[in-house]
Amino acid sequence: MLRCFEMEYVIQTRGLTKEFGKLRAVDRVSISIRKGELFGLIGPNGSGKTTMVKLLTGQLRPTRGRAKVLGVDVVKEPIKVRELVGIVPEQETPPSFLTAEEYLHFVAGIRKLDNIEERCEKWFRFLEFEEEKDILCKDLSRGTRQKLMIAQAFLHNPPLVFVDEPLINLDPIIQRKIKDYFKEFVRKGGTIFLCTHVLSIAEEICTRVGVIHKGKIIYEGSMKDLRRRRKRLEDFFIKLVRG
Amino acid sequence: MLELLKSMIKEEWRIHSTLFGNLTFSFFPIIILVSTFLASMFYPIFSDLIPPKQLVVFLHYIFLIFGMSVGAFGLLGREVMNRRFGQVSLVAYSSRSLPISEKRIFLNFLLKDLIYYFFLWILPFILGIGLALPLLNLNTNIAFLLLLTLTLSFLIGLSIIFLLSVIYIHSTEFLIFFLILTTIVLTTLSLVMDLNIVYLLPTIPLFETLSLEALSYSILLILIPTIIGLNFLKVDYPEERKRFRNSLDSLAKKLGFTRYSYFISKDFIDLKRSEGGAGKIIFSFLFPLALIWFLISLFFRFVPIANPYLLYALFLGVIGVSIYNWLTEYDLFTSYAFLPVRISTLMKSKIVGASLINLISLLILIFLTAATGNLNLFIPALLCMFSTFLYILSLTVYLTNLHPHIFLYNPKVFLIYLALSVPVLVTLILLHLLSPLALLLSPILIPFSIFIMKKGFERWDKWEHPSY
Repeated sequence: MLRCFEMEYVIQTRGLTKEFGKLRAVDRVSISIRKGELFGLIGPNGSGKTTMVKLLTGQLRPTRGRAKVLGVDVVKEPIKVRELVGIVPEQETPPSFLTAEEYLHFVAGIRKLDNIEERCEKWFRFLEFEEEKDILCKDLSRGTRQKLMIAQAFLHNPPLVFVDEPLINLDPIIQRKIKDYFKEFVRKGGTIFLCTHVLSIAEEICTRVGVIHKGKIIYEGSMKDLRRRRKRLEDFFIKLVRG
Repeated sequence: MLELLKSMIKEEWRIHSTLFGNLTFSFFPIIILVSTFLASMFYPIFSDLIPPKQLVVFLHYIFLIFGMSVGAFGLLGREVMNRRFGQVSLVAYSSRSLPISEKRIFLNFLLKDLIYYFFLWILPFILGIGLALPLLNLNTNIAFLLLLTLTLSFLIGLSIIFLLSVIYIHSTEFLIFFLILTTIVLTTLSLVMDLNIVYLLPTIPLFETLSLEALSYSILLILIPTIIGLNFLKVDYPEERKRFRNSLDSLAKKLGFTRYSYFISKDFIDLKRSEGGAGKIIFSFLFPLALIWFLISLFFRFVPIANPYLLYALFLGVIGVSIYNWLTEYDLFTSYAFLPVRISTLMKSKIVGASLINLISLLILIFLTAATGNLNLFIPALLCMFSTFLYILSLTVYLTNLHPHIFLYNPKVFLIYLALSVPVLVTLILLHLLSPLALLLSPILIPFSIFIMKKGFERWDKWEHPSY
């Protein structure tokens, strides 16, 4: 069974399924993602994108099927997976009563990182929220909280980052900065697994996309291929989902 | 007005039934009823040890404390809700978005607490006693009288804590002054004027002799604090965003002796900066401890073989677990789920944090040892306090994960909790009656507690949060 997982892939799943009672949120998904890809998982609301991220990062246990991330079995070693990767969750907010600075230091402390001050300052500068670092997380704007969640995911220089709707609530300047950072990150050998339903973002930055609908992957292919076929992602997506 | 009240009651029900379903939660009052029925049926066996008169006093004060704890949680608990269920917005905190005044909302909030807890706790509790009375050949009118007086005791507790919370919001210094003044007045009344201050709670004389005077006094004790509280109510919506210097790192450094230093530091900062601040510790920990000492020292005055000092050590251990409950109230595991953190890691950090705060209990015990001249009993008392704390904590950890305030409302969990805790506590009480030195045996509980905790960690690490 292990032989079907190949080392060149940073993410590989076989028949991954997650059921919540009668609802099958993820249905026999088998995907393989190589190092250096910016893979976009796109799909309508409630299609199973967030569940996929939670399964791949060991936050949820699959009902059936298997998954390996960076060569680690997500069911057997979920903590190991989360030590290695970075995750920008869709909804979670940082603890209300820590300041932005304290929260980043908290994450760094949990991850037992060195040069905490330096690592955090880099992100405060890059995402332009140095002025707000001593404000309680509960009093931060949604956009600033989102910046904080992005910063915590990249703090330990992970080789693979899962990002779930990362650009919502951010202003266009920061959006551009982050998109450029993502592109640079994969160019240098990192891998990003991006979940979004904002198709323009996927079209702009992803190297490959998968379309998930009702828990099933209904399309997987490279953006180059789509462009070659002169297909706009939005038209293609709507046609696929509407059947 | 009625719509608002209905919404608040629905909201409270949904909060409690979120994790284990409506049907299971509906059984909770039945469990209470059955428990008090059985306790009443067995009471004649213990009636020599706890005479009816003392039992009545005890019940009324228990309901007073219950009202206080319900009120304290409701009034200081907005952030608790946010951390427990994600970003929630309760009707009680909607005065900004609804065309209703804060005073009206909070009046409804108090009414909601009364109605909700009356049907959930008070009524089933008294019904259980009422059903046992005819079988014990006792007058069933006692149940109706208890329904009146215990409900009033609950309401007095609710209104007093409401007033204290309002005072606290205005000025911590004034609250401390108020509490010290009350203590001095009560001590003076008790010692100098030789007044039995237990009877200052008017519901007790009301139970003994149904009189209009005692009833009026009880109602006044509900109305006056409520009216003063409502008039001075202040709900802050700070526009200014407060800035704080980084205190996490220095705190984590000080707590460097534990591997959970960052988690515990975060918890301590949460406790300090969240609504209520240190008031939460005063209301939920120190205040009940003071009240329990007061009750034990009065109550067991009539039971010569009992030792109030040792019994208090036992209660210190039990009440100490409430700190674990508070620490868990401010966290939601989903906030950590995307980090390399296990549920058990978080639980262990709360256990260490609660143990550190419980050094206060140790100081209280040392103070009491000196004050009561019980130096010869210090070691049994200390062992009893520590073993009880660890045992009750292990049950809480195993049965309720990071959600004691929710899971204990699951009838099955609650029954197991009672079945595993009450016999042990009764055994310890009986042991101390045999000989105070018998409490030196209490550390027998420690290996069991460690075993239960380990099983709890394994159990909850496999658990999948339903909010996923």
